[in-house]
Amino acid sequence: MSHSLHRYGTRENLKNDFCIYTRAARGVNRENCGDKLRKTLEIYLSEAVVNFGSSHAGKCFLAGLKPEEYAKTLDNSYGIIATFADREAVKGVLRKAKEAELGISTVVSGLIDDVVDIIHEVGLKPHTALLSLGIHGKTSLLPEKEVLEFTTMCGHSLLAQNLVRSVVEKVKNGRLTIEEASLILAKPCICGIFNVKRCAGILAEKLKECGCASNEEKGA
Amino acid sequence: MKINTEKCVGCKNCVPYCPVNSILVSDGKVFIDHDECVDCGVCLRAEVCPVDALYMPPECFEYPRAIRMQFSDPGVEHPNLKAWGRGTEEAKTNDVSGKFARGEYGLLLEFGRPGTGTRLREIEKVTTFMRSMDIPILEDNPLYGLLEADMSGKFKPEFVDEKILSGILELRIVEDDLEDILGKMFSLLKTLDTVVSVGLVSRFDENARLPVIEKLEAMGIPVRPNAKINAGLGRPLID
Repeated sequence: MSHSLHRYGTRENLKNDFCIYTRAARGVNRENCGDKLRKTLEIYLSEAVVNFGSSHAGKCFLAGLKPEEYAKTLDNSYGIIATFADREAVKGVLRKAKEAELGISTVVSGLIDDVVDIIHEVGLKPHTALLSLGIHGKTSLLPEKEVLEFTTMCGHSLLAQNLVRSVVEKVKNGRLTIEEASLILAKPCICGIFNVKRCAGILAEKLKECGCASNEEKGA
Repeated sequence: MKINTEKCVGCKNCVPYCPVNSILVSDGKVFIDHDECVDCGVCLRAEVCPVDALYMPPECFEYPRAIRMQFSDPGVEHPNLKAWGRGTEEAKTNDVSGKFARGEYGLLLEFGRPGTGTRLREIEKVTTFMRSMDIPILEDNPLYGLLEADMSGKFKPEFVDEKILSGILELRIVEDDLEDILGKMFSLLKTLDTVVSVGLVSRFDENARLPVIEKLEAMGIPVRPNAKINAGLGRPLID
């Protein structure tokens, strides 16, 4: 699962888009890691978490996954992932995880410079990076870049391009609010790494580009 | 996945949810192209069918078809690894596994991502090429379990035509071979009938820098500004 890599977008709209994945390693610390994962969940929830999810439950927090129910399932798991929309929350999670001395590997996805700075600020040393060298092969099969900005927020590719087009159109026509649209697009991503805040920002930009007013603005 | 045509009322609510566009409409009837469907379960989980006409038929759980849902639905386990999703650990646990050392790089090729899906025959073009260059295919990976035991890089024949939403091939290469291998690999990827998201694993140096980025840029290979970074919290730490 390298599913929080390869998020497509501009440096600007990727700026406040972070995923944190805490993952026990097979043959090292995976056995009986449930309590450490529950502690990690507690740490995630203590900061401004945007979303998290469970592939086993088949749904994310924003689609109704209850943290207490999710916590009970963590004895059968080896990792948890959550999405954040500001660097201070990421910093808070790393600082608390370090203090708790859980010893479970933790990766942070985001802009390289920002993530490295955050890791240094909490007194840690970045160990390994997984870099994205982009999309290759038969790229004519890909949808337009504007659609990729949404679909690549689900790294398992569960968010369909046609759903994005349909929802964006409904927002432009005033049939969905930005918030409603963001939730519809978040639901297929059962791991909960679809960042609804980033999604809302991109949708607002699209409305601005087409000169449409959002439902929120119309109501203001 | 299939649609029970007796129940289906043709509302088309499920159509936009399919990540590989395999829910089709013909003469007002909605049906799933069973050969193109990857059994990811998105349409079912969307809960948009007013009459519960979507269902996963028994044949989708039988081999070789069963690998479709294993690689396409993150909630389904890869039985050979007791892992979910695409099942790889790569950089995520490198601080305790030491899978990729300094002086080595990991190559992570994600076939079918984003959103096109892939037949295993497309992946096989790359696995056989890599084996012809004596590049090892890492074992701790769900795709490895589908390969022939002769290390030719060929998949067992029953899997070759199966379609999955995405699968990750993990390779380890030595630093000095980077330019040569990437050059040949990118040429090969252009011939595939799918897309490939390419990732490269690298250790940070002692000064918390990633010299590989400059090296890649000198080769004319752009690096995306966002990445996934292991923060070194795992214990016992392999420095």
